Amino acid sequence: MTRPRPALLVLGAGALALVAGTVGIAWAGSGMHVESVGSRPAAQAAPSVQAAPTDPSAAPDAKGAASATGTPYRTLDRRDATELPRPDRTPRPTIIDIPVIDMRIPVDVVGLDAAGQVEVPVDVMRSGWYRFSAKPGSGEGSTVIVGHVDGVEQGAGAFYDLRSLNPGDTITVTRADDRRVTYEVVARERFSKDRVPLRELFSRTGPERLTLITCGGPFDPASLEYTDNIVVTAVPVDSADDLGETR
Amino acid sequence: MIRLTLGRVGIAAAALALPLGLAAVPAQAADMATVSVLHAIPEGAGADVVDVFANGDLLIDNFTPGTLETVEVPAGTYDLAVFGDGQTPDDAEPVLIAEAVEVPGGVNATVTANLDAEGAPALNVFVNDISRLAAGESRLIVRHIAAAPAVDVLANGDVIFADVTNPNEGVVVVPAGDYEASVNLAGTDTTVLGPAPVMLEEGTVTIAYAWGSAAEENLALATQVITDVSTGPEGVPAGGGSTTDVPVWAFGLAALGAAAVFGAGARLAANRN
Repeated sequence: MTRPRPALLVLGAGALALVAGTVGIAWAGSGMHVESVGSRPAAQAAPSVQAAPTDPSAAPDAKGAASATGTPYRTLDRRDATELPRPDRTPRPTIIDIPVIDMRIPVDVVGLDAAGQVEVPVDVMRSGWYRFSAKPGSGEGSTVIVGHVDGVEQGAGAFYDLRSLNPGDTITVTRADDRRVTYEVVARERFSKDRVPLRELFSRTGPERLTLITCGGPFDPASLEYTDNIVVTAVPVDSADDLGETR
Repeated sequence: MIRLTLGRVGIAAAALALPLGLAAVPAQAADMATVSVLHAIPEGAGADVVDVFANGDLLIDNFTPGTLETVEVPAGTYDLAVFGDGQTPDDAEPVLIAEAVEVPGGVNATVTANLDAEGAPALNVFVNDISRLAAGESRLIVRHIAAAPAVDVLANGDVIFADVTNPNEGVVVVPAGDYEASVNLAGTDTTVLGPAPVMLEEGTVTIAYAWGSAAEENLALATQVITDVSTGPEGVPAGGGSTTDVPVWAFGLAALGAAAVFGAGARLAANRN
């Protein structure tokens, strides 16, 4: 007497389609694991004392040198505390140029959205310098520039081709004072978004470096976001541009 | 137990309870501690050049007013002693001592050699709050270690700490940025320090010390900055989805399937009633 109800049939077929579609999406992505090419310089992990110009009086005299040997104490820093931390007037970045992927776009200044995530310029042909990160040429820490991989209606963004950068590729960032800082790519990494080492990537301590971040990996149609971040790390190289020449 | 004496100056100081033991300690740094020492006794008060010893070993050499030195030390209990330049525990009496200072592993602390409210030299120990800050934030700590009465601390003209007395502190977390700081006599419009432009950098702890002597008219500000205490931002949402590699059929099929499941499920549920 039990005849399969049409609704049950639809339910079964729908469930199959959902599974097939989801599998298709997962298959199209190339896995959950982190992918990396090259290596990123280690950022300083622990909270640290600010590096500051060494006070001339710090030079130990004979007595100090003699007494200091063999003690369990290690001097990390000595500075004149009467100098107040002044507002930083170093010029901000304005243009990023990556010749190997034929990319040259403006750099805006971005901060945080209400959720505490980095704002990314809506225009996919612009990038954003995270205003709490280091400035190019500052000598220390990570300069972070973000850009959309694509936009729903705008198509591929300027940062789409970050996925094809390799160690040795050149990146040039121009500052508001026209000084250009040239970098060489040392690493390209892809992280699942729940595993991005944000604290390290955004640290203002450690070696001077440029960190470019966009999205990548599989697209999650439920959250309307890519599941991964693609991160390119570059370090400054000596070049004539770094001497302040403007052409 | 802490005892402060002033051997050379000859003034007995009060006992001082140290709050170091209350600090939270990260497990991975359990065996070492970071201790900064600030020389905040103004010139001409008998401590222009001193040496600081810890448990009999030289800790800081040729220390002058306004200087901040940061050292890494093993966790432990320390007797701190300040000697006149060139003098040692073997041949002289200390200018200032603080005995049995407990320094737990992982702690970040600052010892100040300063004047108390009445103008007598003193040692104070402060634990620095280096707990992680959310992205965009900065922590400001203000410490009164001057021979001066109670003060109000102002940022951009607004009182942020009222009626702060020696040797106490105020702690606040604010949006990172540039501020104008000043110090007024408590409850008055009489500015004794500043206004001075101060940058409170994101992800850092800025500790401002009011030191010196009101009577000697040498009140001044000193600062200590501890960097890299930000958690970093929550993420970087940098994609819209138009260039996804996922084939269109997969989205279509998934959407269709979801709709069918939802519709059929709803109908079944309705039929049951």
